[in-house]
Amino acid sequence: MQNAKDSFYVALRTRLVEINPERTILLRSAVRPGILVEEAEGPFAQLPADVFVLRWPGLAVEQDLPSAMVAEECEVLYSTLGTQSFGGLDRGRALTEMDVELTEMLSPYWTPKLNYRATPAAAMLTNVFWDVPVFGAVTAVRDRLSRVARVVVYSYAEAGEAG
Amino acid sequence: MASSYLAAAPVVRRVRGYFAAVNRGGGTPVLFDPAEMGGFSLNSPPAPWISLGWIQGFTRKAGSKTAPVLTGIPAVVLEQTRETLDAQVGFQFLSWTKLTMALATGSQHMNLLAPATGAAASADGGTGLAAKVVLTGATATFLPLAAADAAAFTAGQTVVVDVDYTGQTGFVGTPVSGAYVKTALTDVDYVRRVSFNVAMVASVATTGLAGLTLADALPGGAPVTVTSGMKVQAIEGFVDREGGSFFQEWSALFVMEGAQGERIFFHYPRLQSLGSAAEGSNLLAGKSGSTLARVLLEGAYRALPVTDPLDGERVVCYRSFLPAKSALV
Repeated sequence: MQNAKDSFYVALRTRLVEINPERTILLRSAVRPGILVEEAEGPFAQLPADVFVLRWPGLAVEQDLPSAMVAEECEVLYSTLGTQSFGGLDRGRALTEMDVELTEMLSPYWTPKLNYRATPAAAMLTNVFWDVPVFGAVTAVRDRLSRVARVVVYSYAEAGEAG
Repeated sequence: MASSYLAAAPVVRRVRGYFAAVNRGGGTPVLFDPAEMGGFSLNSPPAPWISLGWIQGFTRKAGSKTAPVLTGIPAVVLEQTRETLDAQVGFQFLSWTKLTMALATGSQHMNLLAPATGAAASADGGTGLAAKVVLTGATATFLPLAAADAAAFTAGQTVVVDVDYTGQTGFVGTPVSGAYVKTALTDVDYVRRVSFNVAMVASVATTGLAGLTLADALPGGAPVTVTSGMKVQAIEGFVDREGGSFFQEWSALFVMEGAQGERIFFHYPRLQSLGSAAEGSNLLAGKSGSTLARVLLEGAYRALPVTDPLDGERVVCYRSFLPAKSALV
């Protein structure tokens, strides 16, 4: 399960760098692509704006198949206040930009499963794949626009795969 | 502390299917003895049964008909007679393998031979790369080959192991009869095209004891080599056709395991494909507007009769029940 989550995150991160290399975040003194996994960072008082935050709330396992299929629900949360140079009046445009980026990041809808416990990451036998995203409604809190997109990520448990 | 309890109807969640080859030439099915074999581990069935994995949508339909024998005025039923004996089974396979595809199709199921360089295109695969001779000492999971022959294969390839076609007619294929040849053909690879004896290559050795180590045991067991002329050939995949006159036949066993450990067995000594190749699908996440659908092989079968040596009765299916431990019966 962890390999699938890691592979999904790294695939999206790699694709984001290609799609919009300007979207970055300064986190723990390092400039990184603007996407992070919430459970792998320190707690946030408020989620950072203009980056994609992955959260993993749901899990289901189908065991009747020759290889158990794991379905993990991923929430991609993102928000923006627009830019200072436009006084935040471009926040709608900024959110649309992120909608487009996320849509592009998710395509193609699969990536090879890698084991990131190993260094360098070791290729596994199967692919991780996911469904089309379901975009939630925009929520506005003062000048912050936010959206949550839900993606179900599927993978097959491989023999000897820990976690 | 009680030593027994009154058992309610079994509660089961899923059904597991098993396959065994019918000797088509001799008309001999494989029989399952629930008293002797009924406690087997569902993951490792007793030979020669091969697991088909979990199946879904398992349905049985008895088509046998009875008729009353009437007598008197007004007529009253004196007794009943059984007019016809018929039963059908249907279910969906949860995997696509050589075996499940072949059983779910209504006709021959063929292997797509890895094509020879420049081979003419053909809908069911053109001329294949030359088959390599399997040397003596082969097992169900290791095929000794000449070093040069072994070098022609790579790990991860799927291979078929069977004899050359030499003009024979009748049922062909090891261990399952994959086709019935009515008139002699000219394709030396025909038996390997229809054979069920396939496996994936796990590794290739070209030095020392050269040969192919297989990831799974061959369904036909250890190839008998020198005398029978078994050869191995790479395949790319599988193909079947709508049409043809051949019906796959197999011995089938279906197991339902109850929550208390009780088991229900449905044993069909002879099942033949009833319909044509068909697929069903189910959405991976039906409630959330999923666009991903799993494609399932649909199987529909007619049960053919065997004569029970116990009393000479002709039957098409055996249903057995092994009660849970300490359950009153």
